[in-house]
Amino acid sequence: MSNMNLPETMIEVVDLHKRFKDLHVLKGISTVVKHSEVVAVMGPSGSGKSTFLRCLNRLEEPTSGRIYIEGVDIMAPYIDINRVRTEIGMVFQSFNLFPHLTAIENIKLAPMNVRKISNKEATERGMALLEKVGLAEKATAYPEQLSGGQQQRVAIARALAMQPQIMFFDEPTSALDPEMIGEVLDVMRNMAKEGMTMMVVSHEMGFIREAADRILFLADGLIVEDGTPDQIFNHSKHKRTIEFLGKIL
Amino acid sequence: MADPKNSETATGLSDLKDKIGHIPIIRRNSFVYGFLTVLILYGVFLLPSRGSSGTVDLGRIALFGVLLLIWAMVVFTDELKSEKMKTTMVFSLFIIAGWLYYRYSTARWGEMGFLFFNVEMIQKAWPTLMEGFWTTLLLAVGAAIMSTIVGLLLAVFRSFNNAVLNFFIIAYVDFFRAMPIIVLMMLIYYALPFMGISLSAIMSGILALGLNSSAYVSEIFRAGFLSVKKGQIEAANALGLTPIQTMRLVILPQAFRVVIPPLVGNYVASAKDTALASSISIIELLKAGLSQKSLLANPSPLIFVTALYLAMFLPLTRFAGYLEKKMKASQRQVRL
Repeated sequence: MSNMNLPETMIEVVDLHKRFKDLHVLKGISTVVKHSEVVAVMGPSGSGKSTFLRCLNRLEEPTSGRIYIEGVDIMAPYIDINRVRTEIGMVFQSFNLFPHLTAIENIKLAPMNVRKISNKEATERGMALLEKVGLAEKATAYPEQLSGGQQQRVAIARALAMQPQIMFFDEPTSALDPEMIGEVLDVMRNMAKEGMTMMVVSHEMGFIREAADRILFLADGLIVEDGTPDQIFNHSKHKRTIEFLGKIL
Repeated sequence: MADPKNSETATGLSDLKDKIGHIPIIRRNSFVYGFLTVLILYGVFLLPSRGSSGTVDLGRIALFGVLLLIWAMVVFTDELKSEKMKTTMVFSLFIIAGWLYYRYSTARWGEMGFLFFNVEMIQKAWPTLMEGFWTTLLLAVGAAIMSTIVGLLLAVFRSFNNAVLNFFIIAYVDFFRAMPIIVLMMLIYYALPFMGISLSAIMSGILALGLNSSAYVSEIFRAGFLSVKKGQIEAANALGLTPIQTMRLVILPQAFRVVIPPLVGNYVASAKDTALASSISIIELLKAGLSQKSLLANPSPLIFVTALYLAMFLPLTRFAGYLEKKMKASQRQVRL
């Protein structure tokens, strides 16, 4: 584990396995994600890419393997996983905004209850974030009053409100109508520019080509290929990758 | 056919003839009025001759009632008569039938006030009735509190999804849903003392009502928890909320909105069942009314009790219905 202690290492995964009863979803994944790196995770459906991401903040409990976030072993028995999760923002395919709260209340909930910051400060921070995702005027709207794209942008603001070190995106645009995908990708592109460490499960080729530093290509629970977008999209030698890219292009 | 109204005026008379041609015999005017005449004649023959004190045969009155309803149905399904006319026809017949009963039956109308709405009798019965009212309230509120606590706990335990725990919870729920409340009350009050558990009548009543109600309440809460989507809990976890914070800030507020209408309905149903407690020597509202009726040899207290029950439960039933409607409306708005 030579690079484990280097400061630029944000996430290190060593031989990660995940089994659902008889189904062996992840069959030993090892990789390193550096500070400010944007890593896209691609792969055919059932390849385990979502499970991989969800294992990294233990929304799914890994069967075996080691995961280090900023050098901290988050699989250690004494670790407080809720503390770890405050450092990792997560954006879901189905937004998962809290329907009983307004946009700003959604954003304020975790900072006030987990970080214990004051209502005033949380509101200020929340409004700034809504401004950033272009939804300041929707602060008092309930999720049901927002479009899919707006909901997803609020969900991103909600995750950012915890001031995480890392952001995970689990197919953030898959549930959106085509005309709303752009507004969400714009927000993500800006975050990448600002140097956020990001892991994105997505098939948005345009976004990945432009914003991603690296692509992890998963198939059957293993990393088949690991390289820059140019390497993967234009010079891939793997049959699985070429076959898959041929289908989605 | 863009607008049925327009097409009707366009085809006009020929359409009408067409319709009449297809009307089955029962919709013909001659049939409707013939039926009506037969009905009235039958009704007149049902009445006892003036001055005789014999009561009328209940079976024949019931048949008369059924025939009346059938005739009303025939009238109402007639597409060619106006809505207003059909309503007037049917309701005037019912009014006439009611008047015939009033005029010719053996009921002692002159004594109605004395028998059923006797203020003096109600005043005499008042202290007992009020005691009964408070006892009924105590039973209802006690059962509601007990069932809420037990039901909520059962639902929370059920959400842990432990197979053994679930088996016992399901058995509990099934048992108390299958068990008639009155049997449960008698068991608790008359049989448990033989096992060394002696409860006062009131406690037995509350316990029986509470046990029964808690089975329903736990199912209501379970449905409420299930209505909160898995993604909500994941989102809360991902933000670093602890399980208790997730329960308090995310699950419960969402579950409560779903749960409140059926919960209110359940409390009303349980409160109505308090009348069963009269069977284990509790002097609640019904028993108080009954005992005063016997004591005063006048049914007025019983009528008053009936009115009191309605005054309590009609608004609550309405309220539960209103909540239900409101929730359904808000659910329709949610899109995903």
